[in-house]
Amino acid sequence: MKKLRWSLVMSYLLILPFTKAATLEQVQQQLTSHPLIRAHFEQKRTIKGMPQTLNSSGDMIISRTDGLLWQQKAPFAMRLVLKKESLLQQTENQPPQVITAQSNPQMFQFNHLLTALLTADKNTLNTNFKMTFTSLGNEMWQINLIPITTPLDKLFRTITINGGQFIEKVTLNDKQGDTTLITFSEHRLSPPQLTAKEHADFDTQ
Amino acid sequence: MTLNNPRHFAIYWALLCIALVIGLGRLLPESHLNNSVLSLLPTQINQNLPPDIYQAMTERLDRQVVWMVSGEDEQQRPLAQKWLTQLHSIPELHALQGPMSSEQQQQWGRYFSLHRNNNIDDQTRQRLADHGEQQARWIVSQLYSAFSGVSSQELQHDPLMLIRGAQLDLASKGNALTLQQGWLTARDKQGTTWYFLHGELDGAVANMGENHQLVDKINALKTDFLRHYPSAKVLSRGTLFYSDHASEQAKRDMLHLGSTTIIALILLILWVFRSIRPLILSLISISVGALAGGVVVLAIWHEVHMMTLVMSMSIIGISTDYSLYYLCERRVFGAVSSPWQSLTKVGKTLLLAVLTTIIAYGIMLLAPFPGIQQMAAFSIAGLSASCLTVYCWHPWLSRGLPVNALPFTPFFLRWIALWRHNQWVRRGIPMGLAFLSILGVSQLRINDDIAQLQSLPQHLVVQEKAITEMTHQPSDQKWFVVYGPTPEIMLNRLAELRPLLQQAERRHLIKQWRALPLNSLAQQNKDAALIKQAAPFIEKRLTQLGIPTTPINTISLPLTPDIWLKSPVSEGWRLLWFQLADGTTASLVPVSGVENSREVAALTQHLPGVVWVDRKASFDDVFSHYRKLISGLVIVALIVIAVSAMIRQGWKQGFITLVPSVLSLTCGLASLTLRGEPVTLFSMLALNLVLGIGINYTLFFSNPRGSAVVSLQAITLALITTLLTLGMLLFSSTEAISSFGTVLCSGIFTAWLLSPLAMHSRRKRN
Repeated sequence: MKKLRWSLVMSYLLILPFTKAATLEQVQQQLTSHPLIRAHFEQKRTIKGMPQTLNSSGDMIISRTDGLLWQQKAPFAMRLVLKKESLLQQTENQPPQVITAQSNPQMFQFNHLLTALLTADKNTLNTNFKMTFTSLGNEMWQINLIPITTPLDKLFRTITINGGQFIEKVTLNDKQGDTTLITFSEHRLSPPQLTAKEHADFDTQ
Repeated sequence: MTLNNPRHFAIYWALLCIALVIGLGRLLPESHLNNSVLSLLPTQINQNLPPDIYQAMTERLDRQVVWMVSGEDEQQRPLAQKWLTQLHSIPELHALQGPMSSEQQQQWGRYFSLHRNNNIDDQTRQRLADHGEQQARWIVSQLYSAFSGVSSQELQHDPLMLIRGAQLDLASKGNALTLQQGWLTARDKQGTTWYFLHGELDGAVANMGENHQLVDKINALKTDFLRHYPSAKVLSRGTLFYSDHASEQAKRDMLHLGSTTIIALILLILWVFRSIRPLILSLISISVGALAGGVVVLAIWHEVHMMTLVMSMSIIGISTDYSLYYLCERRVFGAVSSPWQSLTKVGKTLLLAVLTTIIAYGIMLLAPFPGIQQMAAFSIAGLSASCLTVYCWHPWLSRGLPVNALPFTPFFLRWIALWRHNQWVRRGIPMGLAFLSILGVSQLRINDDIAQLQSLPQHLVVQEKAITEMTHQPSDQKWFVVYGPTPEIMLNRLAELRPLLQQAERRHLIKQWRALPLNSLAQQNKDAALIKQAAPFIEKRLTQLGIPTTPINTISLPLTPDIWLKSPVSEGWRLLWFQLADGTTASLVPVSGVENSREVAALTQHLPGVVWVDRKASFDDVFSHYRKLISGLVIVALIVIAVSAMIRQGWKQGFITLVPSVLSLTCGLASLTLRGEPVTLFSMLALNLVLGIGINYTLFFSNPRGSAVVSLQAITLALITTLLTLGMLLFSSTEAISSFGTVLCSGIFTAWLLSPLAMHSRRKRN
């Protein structure tokens, strides 16, 4: 369960700040401007009480029509596809685990949230988070989110997103004191449609 | 028939009746009323499922009541709490379940932690095989995932992440309800949170009156609650509400139809006979018939089926005819002939009528359905007794009945003359009806859907639908029932069923299923071995990756059904668990999204102790079986009637007397087309009755010793009484019952209309 919630929250957090605007409204206005974004990610996960950080990296794609593809390459392969009606997770060559909106309506609720965010539905964001927008100058900005609804508030203490023209950094602070820092780089917008290979990766069948 | 000593007949019959009353008194306490439709099924369909389990199952499910309440107060506390407090004031509601206390939540956590080595799910089991290679990879992927939320605490406490695996497995099993502030909650499409409450009715609440009081009480509470908290909304679901609606509707129907019927009947008989006595005499013969039928059925089967009781209505319709025929004779000829002379005059016809009907019902005894056999035995005994009552008692009891011509005699004489001399009437009417029948029958459609039995109230259906959508708990009652002589055997069988269901889900035969998350002890032992084997490897793998681990705890704490049932984790699952006094245990596996019930049933045919139960499909099957069966029996009865008529009256007259019977059946069916109703089991039952009553009309008319006009008046009276009683069903708001009424009214009317055809041709020549 937890895993699903996280992934959903992640996906809209990632989509949210792809913008070069300097006010929250403008940020939100920009949300629908790019049909497709590709990026490389580096993730550092620090688990409280564990001596070393767990580092991983890979690529991700956010498509307005197809959803989110999170493809971890190192230290082991992991694929996560999030669509409107289903979620797929596959580690290495193990059989994929698919969860549908039908079998898990909680996820469906999150998806609803996600759709609202994709269409810049400010109301939905405001309902679930206390938001603070800070313009850092030079087209850079930061959004601080404090969840106010259950179960978001049970999972996160705060979520911080930093960006400029694109999203650059997401910091997730858990209730239990763990942090995950994800940095994005090498943003690409073209081609604006999914390639055949990307289509295959998005396939959840 | 010669009646040398009629007084003795009356006394013998009285003695026999007393014996019957004593017999009934003996049999009744040890008998019971069977109202399970499944027991009507041909035995091979449900022989696998022990009836006790089925009984326990349906009883428990019928006792469930569910509410979903939305709305919060200013402090964001759910208003459902207030509703729960209100419900606590109803003593009949047991086991009211609202929010889980924090202590229960802790127990919940403790259970999963303590028994993690014994609570292995299918997916984890697969990953643990091969020394846990896959499980190790899975653990690592969980640790690395930004989305999983694994803490070092979790890793230390449960390095194999067995609790996590079991939880994920549970979550993926389609439980739409999530825990929020201790409440089970669901959200609707608008995102509103609904809080789930559940209660069970006291087993003692059984009769309709108490049910109704209870529903009234709940409704009053609801009105009160909504007035106090206008922002709240309440949805309810439960068999209680439906059955109360149905019984209230039936009560209204009976009150409206019943009271007008009885008043009209009394007035009619008073007007015709200028005496209330004929009504009492008819009632006596009906009661003796019912008594004899009841004793015979109870003596053979020690139980009465609901269906038999429903069909006993037909006894009323048919047996009143016997009384009325005799009494009309007395009314007209009471002054010129003695009661016994009148009896001699009509006796042979009465005997013939009862014999024909008995033969028709006798054939039904051969049917392999317990319900039909009971009905046939009941009818044979009942009709014979009714007829014998007319024979033995009516001559005595009808002495001194006021004598006069029956009303409208000139009119009836003219009607008879028309049938004798006017070929347009004699040929034209039957041909016209035959034409209409062909038109109507060719347009008939068939419907075996059980839903026609109930006209569901819209306000309940809407709430039910909303709850089903949110909770994903459909109420269509399709399950696998897994059972065994002990819980252990049952759980082992359940384990065999699981992979089949997963397969069926992949093949899209079914959409969702829920099986108890409890392993048999044998399975737990096997799992313990798996864990012991996998633990060292996984420990090694984690250490290699630099992940600090604590020694893995592989102690197996056997998880018995008792522990599970007493823990709060079985909340919501206990409904699906049944244990009989002899230790026989069963569990339900609800299945939803079934397109083809037969294919699903075929899945588990080779598994012992696993039975597919599709309540609606079984009911539909029963309906269809019985509809076909009764159609067949009606045809057989018709042949019997035809053969006996031809033997008695010769080929040609026999054929003519058959015309009213055949046309009454076809016209009855054709009338369904006229009302746009389909052919159902109930219309076939009505046809059966049409045949039984119709044959009386024909036989009374063909009595060579009787007077045609008295026969006509007697059957006209019989027609009116039948229409007044059973015909009222036409106005019922339940489709099944009104179609019964449609067929009955039009069929009997046709039989009456055509009955003059049966007038003896010799009379014509005289």
